[in-house]
Amino acid sequence: MVLPLRYNFRNVVVRWRSTLATVLGIALVVAVYVLLQSLAQGIEKSSATTGDPRNLLIVRKGSQAESSSLVSREQLRAIQYLDEVSRNRAGEVLISADVITLVNAPRAEGNGEANVLLRGISPRGVELRPQVSLTSGRWFVPGKREAVVSERLARRFSGFQVGGTIKAGPGRLLVVGLMSGSGSAYDSEVWMDADESRTLFEREMYSSILLRPTTPAAMTNLVNRIESDKRFSLRAEPEVDYYKKQTMTSVPVKILANLLGTAMSIGAIFAAMNTMYATVGARTREIGTLRVLGYSRRAVTICFLVEGAFLALIGGVIGTAVSWGLNEYVILRGITFGTVDLQSFSETVFQFAFSPMLAFKGLVFSLIVGLAGSLLPALRASRLPVISALKSL
Amino acid sequence: MTLLGFIAKNGLRNRRRAMLSVGSVAVSLFLLVTLLTLIREFTVPPEDVGASLRLVVRNKVSLAQPLPSRQLPVLDKIPGVIAVTPFTFFGGKFRDESFTSFAQFAVDPPRFTNLFVESRSPPKEIDAWIHDRTSCLVGMATMKRYGLNVGDRMKLTGTFYPCDLDLKIVATYEGSMDDRNVFFHHKYLDELTGNPGTIGTWWLRVASAGDAPRVIAQVNRAFENTSAEVRAETERAFQMSFVSMWGNIKVLVGSICTVVVFTLMLVTISTMSMAIRERFRELAILKALGFRRREIFSFILAESFGLAAAGGLVGIGGAWCFWHFINIQELTNGFLVYFEVTPRTMARAAVVATVLGVVSAIGPSLAVARTSVVQGLKTLD
Repeated sequence: MVLPLRYNFRNVVVRWRSTLATVLGIALVVAVYVLLQSLAQGIEKSSATTGDPRNLLIVRKGSQAESSSLVSREQLRAIQYLDEVSRNRAGEVLISADVITLVNAPRAEGNGEANVLLRGISPRGVELRPQVSLTSGRWFVPGKREAVVSERLARRFSGFQVGGTIKAGPGRLLVVGLMSGSGSAYDSEVWMDADESRTLFEREMYSSILLRPTTPAAMTNLVNRIESDKRFSLRAEPEVDYYKKQTMTSVPVKILANLLGTAMSIGAIFAAMNTMYATVGARTREIGTLRVLGYSRRAVTICFLVEGAFLALIGGVIGTAVSWGLNEYVILRGITFGTVDLQSFSETVFQFAFSPMLAFKGLVFSLIVGLAGSLLPALRASRLPVISALKSL
Repeated sequence: MTLLGFIAKNGLRNRRRAMLSVGSVAVSLFLLVTLLTLIREFTVPPEDVGASLRLVVRNKVSLAQPLPSRQLPVLDKIPGVIAVTPFTFFGGKFRDESFTSFAQFAVDPPRFTNLFVESRSPPKEIDAWIHDRTSCLVGMATMKRYGLNVGDRMKLTGTFYPCDLDLKIVATYEGSMDDRNVFFHHKYLDELTGNPGTIGTWWLRVASAGDAPRVIAQVNRAFENTSAEVRAETERAFQMSFVSMWGNIKVLVGSICTVVVFTLMLVTISTMSMAIRERFRELAILKALGFRRREIFSFILAESFGLAAAGGLVGIGGAWCFWHFINIQELTNGFLVYFEVTPRTMARAAVVATVLGVVSAIGPSLAVARTSVVQGLKTLD
């Protein structure tokens, strides 16, 4: 025979004063845990949504990131006329040789500077990246010192608005448009013409090549061909795979989330234990009565476990709701966070990425805290000697 | 029984609760100290003895942009400059690691030894390093971490450069700010890359700290309107520029700190009020015996303060011990290096603990003060 849930529910509600602090404490712990996790996911999401499954990215063998890769003009010339590379309706080869450079730019708030990734792209570069769209102004004209800045970056750095200038090497780039990368890594970039970028920074080589093979079979073909050709010493891989690996930046946030999650949950378990012991202490007579009425020890144990879990779950729901609300607010207001990308050493912009999965994780987390915190008190309650429990005040 | 004994007995009469409360305070303060240390790690780079005399010259565009090596004679001639060395980040992977776990720099060895005067190495080893073009100078931290010995070979796979290094360890150093780095001949790198005539950054040493501003201005002016404009700054300013790169991380960790402290308050206050609620009748009896409100308040205060102090001692002391004896570099793959818990950080956490002790006594004390003796005696539990 199990005690009705209503009994636990009413107990928690009636004694709200003594449980409020614990519930709020658990709520805060859950909120911090969920927010940090969603932040880590936000960073990962921006790189995970960047690749296009139809594209192939080519970098130098041995380089871990585009920014440290070098591709020569001879290599580009050899690759662009391979049969596997597709063409658009106008008959132009869908290939873009990119030049990645870093530019030091002053932050909009005036507190210091940070590196910004400046990507030089070939004329077909935009076509290869359909997730990028122009939101205001116009695209840069090849051969001119013009740049298009991602909307999110424009808010974070001074001089990055349309009409502003970006200091790049000995020259200056005029910002002629803003673009949106719809949450991809391109939201942390500034784009300009690749060959103009090579002139500006006196660079002989390109950084990487992005191209679209005609068919998936052609893609595998091309990968093998480039890998095995000794004259290239290049590495080709699907763009999607490349960006999946660029998750190093989220590692510190994840470590932080786990560290905080563990330490704070221990604290929360202590707090829940305290509350539950006090509850058991205060209801000693009640427990005695229940036992006399015929409820078994196990029923009493389950009863208090349920109560602890319920208590923590309220906290979990509040905590998850708070982090969801904060997440919505941040997205609504267009607030972004920025930190250094550990691979390219440039500013990477990201947002929270709250998901139902994370909400579920938060609730499970609170449930575990509740159960762990109420286990010992519940066992104690079930072991109370009936007679003395009834006699106690 | 003395008053102190009375308070101590009261505090410990529910041992389990006392332990749990102390435990939760300790865990929270441990976290607080850890987070404060983390913020410090991000925002306050450690200062080296010789740092005030060293300047870093980098390309004005960004650190990633190389500088032409033809700038060296110009830098050499600037008055007040004692030593100049190229300083190029190689970024190689060691053994089969998937990322760069310690930095390698290409330098000009004879010039380099005049620059980093505070690090200690046997003079014989330095001599050997200077004379062998494919040898390297390795920090003690890296030597110990990988169990390397002088005479071993170190093979590094280039990630930034399209070449691999095969170095012979002939010298070690320790006592600098960062004993993890590897230094090797810039000429060796030039040979491997086909003499591109470029270097990463220049590091200079000036005669006196007073000279630094003048030298900085002079270096900046020397390359104005050339194809490679430079930015000279002190080593300190150079390191601080990395701090700005972290962006919003500091605010983020800061707000987490606030939440942790707030949670801590909630939990401790609730524990204290639980402890007092149980004793309402006793406190009423004390009142009836003639104890003043002020005295009762001090009983409660002493108890909650004791609780917070014990938690603080365990938490803050624990954090100090933990981060002192743990190898943070190994734990985070070299992402965090120093993670030093400073007295200042501990003091800040101690202040939080003190405030906590006082604040959590207020609520219960007010409740006791408000209740009349008769009412208090009537309360059951």
